[in-house]
Amino acid sequence: MAQESTCPVREIRQEVASALAQESIKEPRARMRAEKLLVLLEDIAQGRAGSEHLADLKAVARSLTERQDAHGADLGQRILSLLESQGEIFQSHILTRNCASGACDMLAPAPCQMACPSGIDVPSYVALIGQGRYQEAVNLIRQDNPFPWVCGLVCTHPCEFVCVRGQVDSPVAIKELKAFAAEKALSEGRYLNPPKEPATGHMVCVVGAGPAGLTAAYFLALKGHKVTVIEALPMAGGMMMVGIPRFRLPREVIDREVAFIEELGVEFRFNTRLGVEVTLQSLRKEGFEAFFIAVGAHASHRLAVPGEDLPQVLDAVRFLRDVAMGARKRPGERVLVVGGGNVAIDAARTLVRLGCREVTLLYRRSRSEMPANVEEVRQAEEEGVRLVFLTIPVEVMGEKGRVVGLRCLRARLSEPDARGRRRPVPIEGSDHIMAADAVVTAIGQRVLTEGLEHLDLRWSSWDTIVADTITAGAGREGIFAGGDVVLGPATVVEAIGAGKRAAEGIDRFLKGLPQPTMPAVPVRRARLEPWEMAASLKMDLKRCEMPLLGPERRRITFQQVELGLGEEQARREAHRCLRCDICKRCGRCVVVCRDRMEIDALKLGYVGQPGESPTDFRMTSERCILCGACAANCPTGAMQMEDRGEERLLILGGTILQRERLERCQGCGDYLGPSRYLDFVRKRTSGLAQAFAGRLLCEKCARRATAESKSGMSVPQG
Amino acid sequence: MEQQGALRQGDRVEIYRASGDQRWESYMARYIGMKGVVTDPDVVINDPDALVEVTLEGTGGTHRFPQDCLRRLGTGS
Repeated sequence: MAQESTCPVREIRQEVASALAQESIKEPRARMRAEKLLVLLEDIAQGRAGSEHLADLKAVARSLTERQDAHGADLGQRILSLLESQGEIFQSHILTRNCASGACDMLAPAPCQMACPSGIDVPSYVALIGQGRYQEAVNLIRQDNPFPWVCGLVCTHPCEFVCVRGQVDSPVAIKELKAFAAEKALSEGRYLNPPKEPATGHMVCVVGAGPAGLTAAYFLALKGHKVTVIEALPMAGGMMMVGIPRFRLPREVIDREVAFIEELGVEFRFNTRLGVEVTLQSLRKEGFEAFFIAVGAHASHRLAVPGEDLPQVLDAVRFLRDVAMGARKRPGERVLVVGGGNVAIDAARTLVRLGCREVTLLYRRSRSEMPANVEEVRQAEEEGVRLVFLTIPVEVMGEKGRVVGLRCLRARLSEPDARGRRRPVPIEGSDHIMAADAVVTAIGQRVLTEGLEHLDLRWSSWDTIVADTITAGAGREGIFAGGDVVLGPATVVEAIGAGKRAAEGIDRFLKGLPQPTMPAVPVRRARLEPWEMAASLKMDLKRCEMPLLGPERRRITFQQVELGLGEEQARREAHRCLRCDICKRCGRCVVVCRDRMEIDALKLGYVGQPGESPTDFRMTSERCILCGACAANCPTGAMQMEDRGEERLLILGGTILQRERLERCQGCGDYLGPSRYLDFVRKRTSGLAQAFAGRLLCEKCARRATAESKSGMSVPQG
Repeated sequence: MEQQGALRQGDRVEIYRASGDQRWESYMARYIGMKGVVTDPDVVINDPDALVEVTLEGTGGTHRFPQDCLRRLGTGS
């Protein structure tokens, strides 16, 4: 990894600890201060620090520099320098309880949380769902993302691509779990907004009520600012509302989640366009001090072929928007959709639901190069959408001002060019006409720049605003930008992440604080006990399957296709989680068991130790002697060995890898250990076996038996 | 120029150099050498100018990168 895997917090903590251990700080008062420093640093490195810790650390380090102990003074000075140069890392440890480098064992973040563009504490909410605490799960999500239900239905779930369970069998269905918890919590009327900070008196204007703008509004309102959102459309939601069809994302879901943002005091002005109804100057006159431009990418690229201006040629973005706003008239009987992305698929499936007799999707390349989500493509085909590949439209044919077909050429893919790309090459003489009475184009989106010119911002050659993606600063005092208007067409969850970062940047601007130079480390919101289950069950739990509405019903209604998980299904799915927020997968347990103890009982392929076989939690019970070496060497406490009543258990992140009955001393009746462990010890101490005469004895009784056998006398009890 | 073809969802990639694209930001330099998986190639899968969403392994996070800094290590399918 190119990323630094060292951490200044960990390094200085080790330095202080070794100075104390080696007694290189001689002066008693200096030593006392160094001991206090160690306590403070350990708190920071283990996620137990509070807001006072940094000030205390600085004060103690300064007082150490004033002592007459050269080594202590030097150490104090080192800490002061570190706080000066890398103070934000210490601060981040305290605020987020995550160490992005992973060097601080107890603060190693889970991959899923790091992967989430909105930084949701995935392991914690999944654990809460597993425990049946749905309301808490959703409220935890909403500390980082105001749209748990929307994301539960349409998120592209990058978290699942890095889910460690995927290395065992398949990733945890994180997205589906989010939708389940959100629906459950909302239906029970239990969504709660996080507490608001006191009013600051600052006014912020958000331009665009899409996922980026709404998220920024939510977080800015929570920080106590007065937020007004202006929106060109007559309702909130942006592309979530007018770009994603209702059968994937019902309107009510968006409305309900927006209502909670409104509850925070956010004001909406609909049918209001920047550069038309209002300008930057008029808004400044109203008292707005900061602006977040998040207008999305609502324009379409054109096909650039003759006949494109016929009235029955529609661009997909506009078509989907009209349907979302209530239009139900089908554009034609036989409709051709041009494009291979998710928007093309959404348009085609919408046309089916409007009652078009024939819906055909044309794509210039082959199926394997189609960018649309594989599952969405499969559902579209189930619903009757016909796919035609390697076909290039060259002219929209019209008669009497109406579309009658699309003249196309067949194509083949070229040999890879210098960049390895295979281009569709038209096949000479392959002209053919595909009959149609309407054409929908979906070949990409762009930002609609009209109305934004007067902002005097920098634009990229792709017609996107040039803005810092960490702070959202757009290069002009008080103006910020984020979401699709900066990235180009992206995903809902990326827009949410952009809105969250923008809120932070705007808040700092309003408070006169310096801006960050690196992406924020996500916050660990909880530390939850893992759910215990047997290793065999943990292995057997297979990823849930989302129940879907039947294709017959899907063809005629806009009813939601995904029917949602049942409670039992959701809880079982949540229990599949390996709790990477507890286990940092360092593999120390595997190495100790295999190389030090020479037992090799842990088959944990997912920890990535060289030469490890595939993961099978069940294998541990075949070889594990419950010696506890793995647990003793676990840096995070993920591997635990404990005695419960008559048994000893080995548990990894809730998975019971091994359990055995404890044997008792036949002398005094005390618990000894499991028989496998005792056999192991007995092998190592075979020289003493004759004294025990085959009996199981505790240490005390064994000593007495040895003494008696050696002296030939009876040793008194006690 | 790196031979890689269009990137698809699930492909493993490496950020192997800084990009010449104006949308490459200085903070991204710290990701050079890191590996990850393409999580959203977006609708412009065959447009070399499009930004591609990559989720980096470990603690790198999810970012949109220009394609000229990405090298494919393996396919997702």
